[in-house]
Amino acid sequence: MDPHASRYAKQILFHGIGAEGQVRLGQASVLVAGCGALGTALVEGLVRAGVGRVRLVDRDFVDLSNLQRQVLFDEDDVARGLPKAVAAANKLGRINHEVTVEPLVTDIGPDNVLALFQGMDLVLDGLDNFETRFLLNDASLETGIPWIYAGCLGAHGQTMPVIPGQTACLRCLIESPPDPGTADTCDTAGIIQPILSAITALQLVNAFKLLVGRGDEIEPVLTLVDVWDNSHRKLRLGTAQERQSCPACGLGQRDWLKGERVARSSVLCGRNAVQISPAERLRLSLDDLATRLAPVGTVLQNAFLLRLEPTGTDYQITLFPDGRAIIKGTEDPVVARSVYARYVGA
Amino acid sequence: MLFSVQLFARARDLAGAPVVELNLPVGATVADLRIELGRRCPDLAPLSPRLLVAVGQAYARDTDPLPAGGEIACFPPVSGG
Repeated sequence: MDPHASRYAKQILFHGIGAEGQVRLGQASVLVAGCGALGTALVEGLVRAGVGRVRLVDRDFVDLSNLQRQVLFDEDDVARGLPKAVAAANKLGRINHEVTVEPLVTDIGPDNVLALFQGMDLVLDGLDNFETRFLLNDASLETGIPWIYAGCLGAHGQTMPVIPGQTACLRCLIESPPDPGTADTCDTAGIIQPILSAITALQLVNAFKLLVGRGDEIEPVLTLVDVWDNSHRKLRLGTAQERQSCPACGLGQRDWLKGERVARSSVLCGRNAVQISPAERLRLSLDDLATRLAPVGTVLQNAFLLRLEPTGTDYQITLFPDGRAIIKGTEDPVVARSVYARYVGA
Repeated sequence: MLFSVQLFARARDLAGAPVVELNLPVGATVADLRIELGRRCPDLAPLSPRLLVAVGQAYARDTDPLPAGGEIACFPPVSGG
């Protein structure tokens, strides 16, 4: 047996893939958006399975607090301060050199998302914030390229395939994401690794089905899993007729792609700081935020603002009730947006 | 009419209970449930408008009526990963 066939022998034996399915996997191109806990597990699965080409996009660097759950990284990556996409690509090249891995260290925004989708057969969600997920949803509907949504927190996770024209989209499910500062993130409420294994397993199976030409076997449901409760639930989403009233897939609105609902950032020159302004003015409760952020680091609060210095970092986040924040400790808007997403939410 | 609402993940933590019994009129909708849930569990109020609501095995929209005796469950949308 030739080495190529030998590498994939076990999954070729599996009835759902077969020799023809393996050829199709080898011809496929997949965008993995985000290379954190979801993204590393997803991209490892794709590369081991022999997907032809993987484009891997992430804006962040490997941190010690990632190693508990982000499977491709190690202590050496932390010591070298490598970008996640680069560190992952290094590992992936050793796992399977036959796959073309394209690591990109960048922020996914309305300006580049369509270019990132170009030439891809499928997009997998490995993100850590709602804002970019709604952007992926818009880009998917605009291009017709399917994507597979997923999100996790604590021991709970959710995933849903979005196939334009066939299934519900993310906005059918959540018309508007929670405002920044009102929902927990992994950095405020924590997360355990097994939920990521469970959810990425479901994402990868749907990816395989789609890429080998068995998309008709994908269930158009939202799957909710809680590994701590050992609960698993599948929810049917609305009919095609009901979807006609969805702002995105029914009415054709592309609010995130147009940049109308994306936060703005501006560098505060000479202050080693970046200001992040949400797309809409919010009315945050600083008391609620202070409670949520207390376990994360040192919190100072007065009637006008809340200041957080997360333990183990050099950042200082000053947050105002309208959702605006000044992130001190960087002049890089991409880093500042990442810090905002981690501690405030986006 | 008494409706039994199951809460999951962060929604359960914020309400401090896995199940909440809500008294709502016959014909009440998912939108009514959100308001009553926020009233009964103030800590859950900010999240209530954004909860994913399931009736039986189907995702329910705000205009959907709550069926008598039907299983109702609420999940927070989650952004981590």
